[in-house]
Amino acid sequence: MDLIDNLTLGFTTALSLANLAYCFVGVLIGTLIGVLPGIGPVATLAMLLPATYALEPTSALIMLAGIYYGAQYGGSTTAILVNLPGESSSVVTVIDGYQMARRGRAGAALAIAALGSFFAGTVGTLILASLAAPMVQLAFKFGPAEYFSLMVLGLIGAVVLASGSLLKAIAMIILGLLLGLVGTDVNSGVARYSFDIPELADGIGFVSVAMGVFGFAEIIANLEHKAGQRVVFTDKVGRLLPSKQEFLYAIPAILRGTGLGSVLGVLPGGGALLAAFAAYTVEKKVTRNPDPPFGKGNIRGVAAPESANNAGAQTSFIPMLTLGIPPNAVMALMVGAMTIHNIQPGPQVMTSNPSLFWGLIASMWIGNLMLVILNLPLIGIWVQLLKVPYRLLYPAILVFCCIGVYSVNNNSFDVTMTAIFGLVGYLFYKLRCEPAPLILGFILGPMMEENLRRAMLLSRGDPTVFFTRPLSLGLLLMAIALVVIVALPQISRKREEAFHDVD
Amino acid sequence: MKIKDAKDFWSGVMFSAFGLSFVVFAQQYDMGTAARMGPAFFPTMLGGLMLALGILIMFKGLKTDGGADSKVDAFHFKPLLLVLGAVVAFGLLLRPLGLLVSLTVLVVVSSLGSPEFRLRDALLLTVGLAILCVVVFVNALGMTIPVLPAFMRD
Repeated sequence: MDLIDNLTLGFTTALSLANLAYCFVGVLIGTLIGVLPGIGPVATLAMLLPATYALEPTSALIMLAGIYYGAQYGGSTTAILVNLPGESSSVVTVIDGYQMARRGRAGAALAIAALGSFFAGTVGTLILASLAAPMVQLAFKFGPAEYFSLMVLGLIGAVVLASGSLLKAIAMIILGLLLGLVGTDVNSGVARYSFDIPELADGIGFVSVAMGVFGFAEIIANLEHKAGQRVVFTDKVGRLLPSKQEFLYAIPAILRGTGLGSVLGVLPGGGALLAAFAAYTVEKKVTRNPDPPFGKGNIRGVAAPESANNAGAQTSFIPMLTLGIPPNAVMALMVGAMTIHNIQPGPQVMTSNPSLFWGLIASMWIGNLMLVILNLPLIGIWVQLLKVPYRLLYPAILVFCCIGVYSVNNNSFDVTMTAIFGLVGYLFYKLRCEPAPLILGFILGPMMEENLRRAMLLSRGDPTVFFTRPLSLGLLLMAIALVVIVALPQISRKREEAFHDVD
Repeated sequence: MKIKDAKDFWSGVMFSAFGLSFVVFAQQYDMGTAARMGPAFFPTMLGGLMLALGILIMFKGLKTDGGADSKVDAFHFKPLLLVLGAVVAFGLLLRPLGLLVSLTVLVVVSSLGSPEFRLRDALLLTVGLAILCVVVFVNALGMTIPVLPAFMRD
């Protein structure tokens, strides 16, 4: 079996002492920062990305993946213990998790979240491993026209499945695409939009964009709100082991959450957030006579979304690793990280760099295992972290961000650039423009232009090429269908309800 | 004409302005043909699209009432300027004055942005972070960050 061979290769890579250590450090730091409220996985990754520059590519990616699911898990801990989602995908966990904590069942909620996540992570990793090869085969059939159409579909999907205004999200994507074009054009050598600033001729660093728009803007926004009265259930985490009854309730919820999350994670714009929302809604629909009711501390309301967001987190790697197209902002950061390490993401990675490809996949499972081993005993420490006041926390975050940005090119210009994007991000926040689509567009901008140019060159300037090649036509039709479906009045109302349900 | 949804209206203004400037600045580059696109082609296309979307969003803000949530909340300039100013200062001071000085400026100035600012805590935090950063980034990870001011380095 190829799959076995591949996974063996993966595990030999991932189990090397150095890579194990990086995976461990990644998971640890990821959880550490994910626990802090208000810093999501995107900001965490952007912040820690520079720390991985010195590593070799495989180790760097393993560590980043570890940071990602560490941050994801840390977010759930905060959600359960402080009634504050550490990141957006644990917004739903807050509802029932915090109620469980109030009833002294925080330990059980944390344990179920960890075990459910581990199970979902295992399934997600297996799906990723078995789907990777066929997806890569498909990817090799893609010409530039197909790639362009696929990116259109991906970007449209990202908009449709995101919350908030459709028009604004599309505008944000286009702004991202345009910002991605700043710098020297590979075909003509012209430095576009550089205004004779030499640093801009190399393009805008995506660490600056991500850190400014997500990290800095978030900090400034947080400073506006007076620190509310947070009640932290530090002293009564309670018994970790869930009762038999709780297990019986949680197991089917974990299975459903895993299934749903795995499917939704692959979709463009999907990933962890959407998976968690959908899983919670499904649980509410399928459970008859829930006792206690949802919203009052039902363990299913923790088990399902937590499994779903982890499964979704795993499977969202599929389009990124096989096609080189990130389905969400976190994966866009991973693509950026690969590019910095001179790996062009796409179908060729699997053949040209098999140990990196399979090593990363194997390390995901190891990372998930570490999360369980690490988090349950360490919960006490994470809880202590929640007591650090924000006025001490944010200057520290700023310091790490600034040193991180500076060290990308050893350049002060990048630091200033990040501050500018912090300002822009704050403006987005005030005008309620979701920044995630911007990052996606920013990464895809140059790729999209390149494929558009190639497709048009091959067709001698005939734009119908996108509609005459069957694969490309299919992808574009799917994109159009998505827009039409969402624009229908009934659906758009439902969509708003779904996102408001949990606000 | 009354603005019914200020968030939408001003977003529209922002997007139109961005779109227009991308189109205008693209015109100094070569447009090329559809088959051989020049550097101006794709940005002009996208900028035009964004301009159109921006105008659409602006009109939506004029026509559709967004309810209670549609007002643009006041900008809090104090944390904004202090945090971003501290960051810019850090970047500018790092080379000439080294990590220790620029880190102190960054931590103290940005801390002023918090309503719960306490000088003693900010200074203690500075010392702690300075030690941590020198040990982790400079000694352990071997990053090339100047620690001392230029005139004290040899």
